[in-house]
Amino acid sequence: MTNQDILVVLPEIVIALMACFILVLDLYLPATKKKKFGYGLSLVTLMVGAGLSIVYSEPAPVYGLNGLVLMDSLSAILKVGICISTGFVLVYSRGYADARGLWKGEFFALALFGVVGMMVMTASNHLLSLYVGLELLALCLYTMVALRIDSTAASEAAMKYFVLGALASGILLYGMSLLYGLTGTLYINELSASIVRHDGSTLPRTMALILVLVGLLFKIGAVPFHMWVPDVYEGSPTSSTVYLATAPKLAGFAIILRLLADGLGSLATEWQGMLLVVSIISLALGNIIAIAQSNIKRMLAYSAIAHVGFFLLGILTGEVSGYASAMAYILIYAVVTLGAFGVILALSSKGVEADLIEDYSGLNQSHPWAAFIMLLLMFSLAGIPPTIGFYAKLSVLQAVVNAGMTWVAVVAVVLSVIGAFYYLRIVKVMYFDDLATSHPGLQFRPKQDARILLTINGLAVVVLMPWIGKLTTLCEGAIEVLF
Amino acid sequence: MLANYLPVLLFLIVASGLGVVLLVAGKLLSPHRPNEQKLSPYECGFEAFEDNRMKFDVRYYLVAILFIIFDLEIAFLFPWAVALDDIGIFGFLAMMIFLLVLVAGFIYEWMKGALEWE
Amino acid sequence: MESILFYLFATVLVVSAAMVVTIRNPVKAALFLVLSFFSAACIWMTLEAEFLSIALVLVYVGAVMVLFLFVVMMLDIDVESMREGFARNLPVGALVAGVMVVEFAVVMMSDRFDSQSLPRPAGHGPDYSNTKELGLVLYTDYVFAFEVAGLILLVAIVAAIVLTMRRRPNTRYQSPSEQVKVNKSERLRIVSMPAEKRLDIDN
Repeated sequence: MTNQDILVVLPEIVIALMACFILVLDLYLPATKKKKFGYGLSLVTLMVGAGLSIVYSEPAPVYGLNGLVLMDSLSAILKVGICISTGFVLVYSRGYADARGLWKGEFFALALFGVVGMMVMTASNHLLSLYVGLELLALCLYTMVALRIDSTAASEAAMKYFVLGALASGILLYGMSLLYGLTGTLYINELSASIVRHDGSTLPRTMALILVLVGLLFKIGAVPFHMWVPDVYEGSPTSSTVYLATAPKLAGFAIILRLLADGLGSLATEWQGMLLVVSIISLALGNIIAIAQSNIKRMLAYSAIAHVGFFLLGILTGEVSGYASAMAYILIYAVVTLGAFGVILALSSKGVEADLIEDYSGLNQSHPWAAFIMLLLMFSLAGIPPTIGFYAKLSVLQAVVNAGMTWVAVVAVVLSVIGAFYYLRIVKVMYFDDLATSHPGLQFRPKQDARILLTINGLAVVVLMPWIGKLTTLCEGAIEVLF
Repeated sequence: MLANYLPVLLFLIVASGLGVVLLVAGKLLSPHRPNEQKLSPYECGFEAFEDNRMKFDVRYYLVAILFIIFDLEIAFLFPWAVALDDIGIFGFLAMMIFLLVLVAGFIYEWMKGALEWE
Repeated sequence: MESILFYLFATVLVVSAAMVVTIRNPVKAALFLVLSFFSAACIWMTLEAEFLSIALVLVYVGAVMVLFLFVVMMLDIDVESMREGFARNLPVGALVAGVMVVEFAVVMMSDRFDSQSLPRPAGHGPDYSNTKELGLVLYTDYVFAFEVAGLILLVAIVAAIVLTMRRRPNTRYQSPSEQVKVNKSERLRIVSMPAEKRLDIDN
């Protein structure tokens, strides 16, 4: 072991140690200081993690720890994204979780361990490290979903998530074991070359590919492996929903890119067709079923399914520009979704969940600023200019057209237009409906730090627009070195 | 390598053989004269009131789950103990870090009172 | 010899697995599950997967099945009501099982997985220890995955406790040591009281 080995996984080590420290510290501090210290330390840890990921990033892949992990700009960008979005999650969910008794040491520790899992996923160059990272994240997510032990909905959601997630892990592992049997290597960067060298029937390798793909698609919640998504989004406490709706998507992108585009790149023609079907039915099902939802968390769940379908379009082009556009898409999606859940969290108060769409009627009259931020975020999710959501969709569509799949782009546009309906319905409810009288109404009382971040987050979807081209350049630079 | 496990196989054969012989011998040799009273369910002189299964506290399962987790940890210790001579100080430290992480878990468990029976 | 052992253990495995789902008594079903795990461990042993075999016995037979037995022996699960769905779900279950059997048969019968294209690896010498080979790489080459596995176990501990621990401030329980340690001053208070006036009974 050399210094190099340590530097490659330094952010992971720091965050894991701090998570252990916070977990133990929480037991010894007096009750009054627990929350403050845990919260502050977690934010500092995430900042340090993001900082270390930048400082020790290398443009070209540097392998460490016997090649199990690597450090390149792709993993650096995604690690920073994961740390920052988890930081936002903590800031946003403070008021909500505090009012429900969820704001405790375990919450911070689980969030941080989840971050470690995600970072391992983004940095893995080995099927084994990819799998342990995935399981670390999954275990944290199952627990965070079930964190409200007195809620039946949360327990049910966690149960579904756990059983289906364990099944998906099993399928993924089976696929990986077949890959190992066929190629004799577990290193992702060697898979691609070894798998084409394998002579003989293509059936075993197709089977391995399908099993791996099913496992991966399940984890990111693409149709037809999406059954858990709506229930988990709706059933879990919103402070956990915002966590599992954002950062894990970045990690999911990383493992899809590493395993499919890099590791199984030589089988691209085989998985492109499969991804095409999956992404189009994800777009269709997500966008159409979301229209029928009356619960905003459930609606955002179906919206997540549709967005996953959209970013898979970028992957299935099989080209660097497509991968880069998918990466930009998922980063932008994470920012916007964070804001949307942030508004929901800020509007929730003790005993008020703010999760029904009708709760938002007339929000503009009572809380114009919250309504305005929500409007920007909804426009961005729908992909309406001049928001960054529009740019994200545009760049993916551009890549799809350039890859010669114009009809796919047309289908995606049509389905996105259908999808715009339900985002705009929220806007309509907030601006043109009368103030809800049947219930006490929502209170927009976020903590000071959450208020500031929420404003930044909301305005960013418009203000960042002039510089958004930089993001694509960054993503392209990160992905180009891989291929 | 399998030859090393021959004693285990012999033990298995003898143990299961002995078990079968004893059970069969008991069945064959013992007097066996059931009647209705002998076979009826019995609970302190009364007919049985209720099913013998009842709701148990979730704490029982907590203890069992924690046992499983530390059992898994032990499973990691076996290959380490066997290979310790060859993996040197690096392997030793690797295991120490692993154990340290789990000690954090143990402290958590202890301080939370998961090992106490209120 | 090895194939005799394989067929012996495989028969036990299949029969006991069938018993797990057909037998009426859930405790016996759990015990049959133990037997099937054990036979599977024996089969793995004949494949020279020594460590896996030991781990199966240690973890599954030793720990997981204890939890299983715990659940089936103690919990008031109405077994009869759980069986009601059997006849109703049988067609679907049989269909899935049939498809799987056909799939397995196709794969097994095809020449893609037969002993020519995927030959059995050569056996190892008498000094070979699978556990040791595993130990040689697990703590050196794969140290990263090993440490992350430690984190997973830690998260499992936290998860188990945070999801099931409930403080019960109202439970009353005895603490014998406290009871023994008690001394007079803690339990007995001598209050000086003025003598009361004598009641005049005659009046």
